Amino acid sequence: MKVKIALAGNPNSGKTTMFNDLTGSSQYVGNWPGVTVEKKEGALRGQKDVIIQDLPGIYSLSPYTLEEVVARNYLITEKPDAIINIVDASNIERNLYLSTQLMELGIPVIMALNMIDVVRKNGDTIDIPKLKEQLGCEIVEASALKGIGTKEVAQKAVELAKSKVSAVPKHTFSTEVEDALAKIEGLVKGKTDSINERWLAIKLLEQDEKVMEGLPLDGETLKAVKDIVQECESKLKDDGESIITNERYSYISKVMKQAVHKKSGTKRSATDKIDAIVTNRWLALPIFAVVMFLVYYISISTVGSMATDWVNDVLFGDIIPPAVGNFLDYIGTAAWLNSLILDGIIAGVGAVLGFLPQMMVLFLCLAFLEDCGYMARIAFIMDRIFRKFGLSGKSFIPILIGTGCGVPGIMATRTIENEHDRRMTIITTTFIPCSAKLPIIALIAGALFPGSSLVAPSAYFVGMAAIIVSGILLKKTKMFSGDPSPFIMELPSYHLPGIKSILIHVWDRSKAFIKKASTIILLATVLVWFLSSFNWKLQMVDTEYSILAAIGKVIAPIFIPLGWGNWKAAVATVTGLIAKENVVGTFGILYGFADVAEDGGEFWKNLQGEFTQLSAYSFLIFNLLCAPCFAAMGAVRSEMSSGKWTAFSIGYQTVFAYIVATIVFQMGSFISGNGFHVGTAVGLLLIILLVYLLVRKPSEVKEKKAKAAV
Amino acid sequence: MSLAFAGIGETRVIIDFVGKDDVKRHLQDLGFVKGESVKLISENDSGFIIMAKGVRVAINRNLATKIMVA
Repeated sequence: MKVKIALAGNPNSGKTTMFNDLTGSSQYVGNWPGVTVEKKEGALRGQKDVIIQDLPGIYSLSPYTLEEVVARNYLITEKPDAIINIVDASNIERNLYLSTQLMELGIPVIMALNMIDVVRKNGDTIDIPKLKEQLGCEIVEASALKGIGTKEVAQKAVELAKSKVSAVPKHTFSTEVEDALAKIEGLVKGKTDSINERWLAIKLLEQDEKVMEGLPLDGETLKAVKDIVQECESKLKDDGESIITNERYSYISKVMKQAVHKKSGTKRSATDKIDAIVTNRWLALPIFAVVMFLVYYISISTVGSMATDWVNDVLFGDIIPPAVGNFLDYIGTAAWLNSLILDGIIAGVGAVLGFLPQMMVLFLCLAFLEDCGYMARIAFIMDRIFRKFGLSGKSFIPILIGTGCGVPGIMATRTIENEHDRRMTIITTTFIPCSAKLPIIALIAGALFPGSSLVAPSAYFVGMAAIIVSGILLKKTKMFSGDPSPFIMELPSYHLPGIKSILIHVWDRSKAFIKKASTIILLATVLVWFLSSFNWKLQMVDTEYSILAAIGKVIAPIFIPLGWGNWKAAVATVTGLIAKENVVGTFGILYGFADVAEDGGEFWKNLQGEFTQLSAYSFLIFNLLCAPCFAAMGAVRSEMSSGKWTAFSIGYQTVFAYIVATIVFQMGSFISGNGFHVGTAVGLLLIILLVYLLVRKPSEVKEKKAKAAV
Repeated sequence: MSLAFAGIGETRVIIDFVGKDDVKRHLQDLGFVKGESVKLISENDSGFIIMAKGVRVAINRNLATKIMVA
């Protein structure tokens, strides 16, 4: 018989570390059905028939965020055989709030008192037998980070699951509330199929809409319940939900008094001392800039690029291609097959995998910032700035991760509670150059702007500007108008992250990239190779006469207003949709170089012949801002969970990129003295349109509707 | 008065919240309940860091003006 055990706990309670420790490498990561919250499960180490289900970190079972909805639905509808409730012992009071809710579900519960080592170090004591008695569940002291107690927790959870002894909550509320609950219980008894009447009574007292929707209660009963609730509310002068919340916390403070003894001391904690500096009004931004500089210095300029150079020049330069070539010669394969394998697959996939070391170092740095607690501070200090253009500080984390790869960046938008903010962040995140766009920047900078060190920083500047402009502009549309959600974020205590959890983090993100390289990008390189090696009659020809050239010539005129209506650039842009790093490789193939360096150094001369500095920069802008690669589009699709929003998102990005690139080229060519003509007029009109969209009065339709509804 | 006008380092008791219900619920889940003593740890341009139930929570300025304290 399979046993399912759910892990539930607050964010920052060490849940992920515990999950990793319990399941080892046997993890399966997917999505919860219908929503985009990550679903992680894995078999308990050494016990294949025990499945550990990781639930998202939540503060309560009331649905404020997507994560809470998911966790609650899972616990109520799928009923795991047992719950391991992970409690951060160093923040026990707030963590117990969720515990009281979990105890009411009628599922066996065992509590893992995590980070017990921190409590001991602080000199605090927790009276475990007393706590057990007051809460009514088994408690095991643990430290997931140090691997203490985790096996015991799992073993006890399995025993509990097999014995099927449901948790019986010990906590009680004040007399008024208990009276009301008893009355409600009496009213609904036998009228629903719920086996857990107390839980139901509490939900009814809270007037929880989501729970009430699914109840088979007649109008009369509901009315009677409502009367009881109103009576209780007027007695206690608060709404049902707040009454229950207050009751839970007052029970917890009673428990705290009896079972938890904090060493008294008013000494400022290390976290407060660090916060006084890194979130300081004047120092916060400069410190953040230094941290970011270090991250990029390590991952892009030094360690990461050394590793990437090695993969590109040695592994996919001196080692693999000659070896495979010799092998193919030895077995005597056909010329076209050699070409497919060497020029198509190895050159294409190799160029992409070359980024992996750089990305892994970047992810390592970001994982460190996230795990040590600084990332939450970044969101906080950036909130004031981002709020000015319609986003929230939480939008900054996706953008930051998006500098590595847009896919995890888009996935990181999940922590944003407000749907408008989340959608706007998804749309704008990929404007920031991801690491796959760096070769395009290197190509344009190297070929057309030799010696200029401004092109690369300007690409980030263009990306940031696009995010800011889009934020202001979209916020003024009907779709996104309305109050931004307030910023509320827990700031975890600073701590040194565990090496293991960071490495797992990096591996999870890199795995997604490798998967992409071995599937989509492999297919794409084969496709590009095929289209560029054959003509419509399926004869092997030079690229000039290939299918790709024919397609390119048809779509190239679209890009004439942008200044680069030649077919090679058009084709490169299209293959860039498959993966942005393909742009460089495609130019390489089209100019007749089988294997090119990351920055395409071999064909800089060819590029100088077809582009001016201005048209090259317009090409760069368009490719940076337009629709992201297919993998990122897939991420947008799954995060938006709506075809309409996905289409809007990609359409907006492409149109925006087209407009900006047109303006840059047309205005640039006017300023550089090419006279005033139709294109210049179009450019001017587009500028006026953009400025209008930026300064017009925000649309207020939605707000009025919302007010009318209240 | 509102929490936004409390001084740094001061501990104040929450008496009311004037704002949307879902925000109120989330604040309550995080320990910002009526009668709770919260401590204003620091302030910057974005907002405040507040200690409630032993946990640091960052909130923006506008939200702080909606939390009434005594």
